[in-house]
Amino acid sequence: MQNKRRTLLKAIGGAGATIAAQPYLSFPAIAQNTPVRVGIIAPKSGIVGTIGECGLRGTQFAVERINAAGGIAGRKVELIVEEETNPKDSIERLRKLVLQDKVDCVQGIVSSGVSLAMGAVAEEMKALLVFWDGTTQDGVKETMPNARYVFRSTDNECEAVMASLLAIKYWKGQFATVAGINPDYSYGRNNMAAFLALLKKFNVDAKVVAEQWPKVGTLDLTTHVAALKAAKPDLVFSSLLFADLPIFMRTAHGAGLMDGKTKFVFPGAGFQHTLLKKQFTPEGMIFGHNTLYFASDNASPLQRLFVKEYEEKYKDYPHWEADRAYFAMQVYKAGVEAAYKAKNAWPSKEDVISSMEGVKIESLGGPGHMRKDHIAEQTFYQGLTTHKNRYDFATLGQVDRMYSDQLQKPPGVDFWKWIETAQIKL
Amino acid sequence: MTSFFDILLGGVFHAAVLFLVAAGLQLVFGVQKIVNLACGSFYALGAYFGITSVNWALAAGLPPWMFLPVLIVSGIVLGAIGPAIEALLRTIYARDEAFQLLLTFALVLMFQDVLRFFWGPNPQQLSNLVTEYGRLSIGTFSVSTYNLLVIAASIVIAVGIGAFLQRTRFGRILRATAENREMSQALGVNVRWMYTSVFTLGTILGTVGGALVVPTAAASLDMPVELVVEAFAVVVIGGLGSMRGALVGALIVGLMRAAAITFYAELEILAIYLVVIIVLIARPAGLFGKPIE
Amino acid sequence: MSATGLSAEANGKQSGASRLRRHTALLVIVMAALIVLALFPSFAQPYYVTLVLPAFAYAIALLGFNLLFGYTGLLSFGHALFVALGAYGAAVLTSKLGIKSFELILLASGLAAVVVAIPVGLLAVRYVRIFFGILTLAFGMLFHSFLFKFYNITGGDTGIRVLRPALFGNEFSDLDKTAFLIGPFYYYCLVLLVVLGFVMWRIVHSPFGLHLTAIRENSRKAEYLGVRVRMFRLAAFLISAFYCAVGGVILAINTGQADPETAYWTHSGELVFMTVLGGFANFFGPLVGAFVFIFLKSELMSLTQYWRFFLGVTLALIVILFPRGVMGVAQDLWSKVKKKQ
Repeated sequence: MQNKRRTLLKAIGGAGATIAAQPYLSFPAIAQNTPVRVGIIAPKSGIVGTIGECGLRGTQFAVERINAAGGIAGRKVELIVEEETNPKDSIERLRKLVLQDKVDCVQGIVSSGVSLAMGAVAEEMKALLVFWDGTTQDGVKETMPNARYVFRSTDNECEAVMASLLAIKYWKGQFATVAGINPDYSYGRNNMAAFLALLKKFNVDAKVVAEQWPKVGTLDLTTHVAALKAAKPDLVFSSLLFADLPIFMRTAHGAGLMDGKTKFVFPGAGFQHTLLKKQFTPEGMIFGHNTLYFASDNASPLQRLFVKEYEEKYKDYPHWEADRAYFAMQVYKAGVEAAYKAKNAWPSKEDVISSMEGVKIESLGGPGHMRKDHIAEQTFYQGLTTHKNRYDFATLGQVDRMYSDQLQKPPGVDFWKWIETAQIKL
Repeated sequence: MTSFFDILLGGVFHAAVLFLVAAGLQLVFGVQKIVNLACGSFYALGAYFGITSVNWALAAGLPPWMFLPVLIVSGIVLGAIGPAIEALLRTIYARDEAFQLLLTFALVLMFQDVLRFFWGPNPQQLSNLVTEYGRLSIGTFSVSTYNLLVIAASIVIAVGIGAFLQRTRFGRILRATAENREMSQALGVNVRWMYTSVFTLGTILGTVGGALVVPTAAASLDMPVELVVEAFAVVVIGGLGSMRGALVGALIVGLMRAAAITFYAELEILAIYLVVIIVLIARPAGLFGKPIE
Repeated sequence: MSATGLSAEANGKQSGASRLRRHTALLVIVMAALIVLALFPSFAQPYYVTLVLPAFAYAIALLGFNLLFGYTGLLSFGHALFVALGAYGAAVLTSKLGIKSFELILLASGLAAVVVAIPVGLLAVRYVRIFFGILTLAFGMLFHSFLFKFYNITGGDTGIRVLRPALFGNEFSDLDKTAFLIGPFYYYCLVLLVVLGFVMWRIVHSPFGLHLTAIRENSRKAEYLGVRVRMFRLAAFLISAFYCAVGGVILAINTGQADPETAYWTHSGELVFMTVLGGFANFFGPLVGAFVFIFLKSELMSLTQYWRFFLGVTLALIVILFPRGVMGVAQDLWSKVKKKQ
């Protein structure tokens, strides 16, 4: 009886396996004139809608130039764009892209919650997936210790690490009390924790006098600012990065918190940079622009071209999500082309993956590469704000540039252990 | 002491805006027995349209300090959508309340994309116009004049609605219709026109609320679904259908939130839910609501 | 609430022969649908087969939801709470406690939902109609905030991983996840749907179910007749919570993650949408609604970025023009056809 049941269940399983295996089994001879299909999953609405839009523009810029130059190894790139919403629905879109549209590669994702769920699903489906963003510590530890098909962006905490290092470098000894106002989710919590851990590591004796955890995207921060002001901190660390950031800036300025006595560190300010107008964004604050600082003096011709086109087309200035999207596309392209060259025929998915590991590319914001453990390394830009520019918002005067291998844990190491034990330079 | 005053004012400011939205909800529910899930959508619409109106007015040469009247006017102008939406809801008046609730949910879904269609996914904000009104300083206290003006406006509107309902003929007819629709109709009241006016007024309260809050905040695409939660907390605490309930409920929610943020930041929104549950256990109909059968 | 389909079933005023005819016709249609569903994986494309799983999950959840809404007349805008409880139950059991037995997960998550539903229900059934809807919305959002705030237990915004369960002790580890989902898991869920559907059918046709309908029609009268209205409403509430949790478990296994957005009030709104789309006045309405909604949403998302707008329009049209949903339209067509005969 036991055996019969098992055999029956196995038979059903077998049927399922055969059916499921269909999409992955055959690699038909690919004619040079069929396009490479790339699926993009990016948010379009809600609080991260603006981020998805900027990223998508980066992808489109990359694809336009790739196709103008003849495509990836001679095949043009075709994009199929789906919307990132919540984990369940986003995974359904992934399944559609992979099973139905049979795309060669999927790129995108901004939210950490979605990336966690989707990474596991993509691994199980053996689907090549390159994340733009959304990499958190806990998730990676649990679900993808040895990713095979999924490639991740730099750690979410890189900007917090760099901002903390800059704060220590510029202001060590000038502050005794710190306060934090961070969005109430994993990103905000990890960033604040990283900041405090780094203060401890570099023996900066600072007392935490206030910690605010506004709900993500809270639009009324009057009370939060009042509470912060009441605590009289010397330095405020804030990883706010959505619509709540310019609101905080304005409210804090209005409440007199920016009168020069308090120092501010904003690791994620770059997302909203154009909304941080000079009137309420003073100079001398640490701003993080992640992997793309649009007004960099040492910008590559590629970046200059991108920023100029972006300004003409969209009457706006890009932030780093565009660079992340561009990076993802370039890593994929580089992997395919290297594998193609080695094989002298169109490469299989496994060939592409092997080629992507270790590949070096030039992204919009600067050089980057993909580690063998499928985590990206890119160039990060942060600095002190200035008003000396031709815009109505604050930009960076003093720009510090760090490669992410100084900002994120090396392969196989736990993030918190790394902060404690590694040789991190200022 | 300064900080206590700051925090208090922050809470009252939040309450003032919540009151406007809740008042709109209460008005519509009181008369038409519809709970409008799209109240947050009207609020967001008011915010976005307010920004567009002010930018347009400034470009047309209006002096910056006049932005507050422009915001209020833009909110009122948006009331034009009131009759259209009310006509839509009218098609199902005879049906069960569940359907009315569902139709307003359909509106929420539609509005989300309408907002995105017209204004895109980026959050919008008014450049620092708030500073036009500067700050009021009394000794060591310093408070943003704009926030005071908004609180004052809310008080004026609250008093105005109260007077309107109690003293004017229209207000009395409105209250009568709320109590007993058939009787009102039998007595010759043009109930249809009443419903349209009330709904439009409720809409305007929501859109003006959104417009007034936008200089200190921003207009963002998740406003519609987020606000509903707080607005509902206010009407549950205050009691459905009661204007006084809207006022008291808004104050309680605003001040509780301020207190939570100041003393135990982790609690914030949970504190409000706690109050909701306590009120419901103690007084099921809310503080000023009518007892339910 | 007028739901003539339901009260007609309950009345039994038709003749014995026509009742038998109706039941036979019904049975034939149900069997045909089940056969189609059973054969679906062998002829449909894998993506569409993966879509059927959330359809199963919602179908089960809505069977419970409609007991409360269609049969008892209480509209809850917070039932996503119980769906989320099911999801998190599956997550905690598989990834934190290492319990893989699907049967145990279903039972435990369902019971957890019932336990939570007791205090929520006790408070909520004091109210009716709109008040009930608002209150349940508030409770749903309370749970949502709880999931965010207590991130050490709940994983916060990222949620908790859901590992593959063992079906009757067999983990099918030789199959990859997709093969598992559209193979053994698919059939298990189909059988689960049939079993739970049968149970619900018995519930609504039992004296208990008739009492619920009576309470819905006229609660005061029912009270006079000695029916303890609140107890019955609470019982319906608890059963609906159980069913929603089972749906949540299936959803979570399909996704591989339990996340807090499952508890957001707009997700509760989707539950109501699906029920009304299919037809709340008919036993099979919610089942049809679940399938139609899932496929409709997927197609709309592929066609346009303004899919929310079109979903809203669909809901508005249903509410205004076709309040008895797809099944209502089907029943009207059926009567027209029969009249012609």
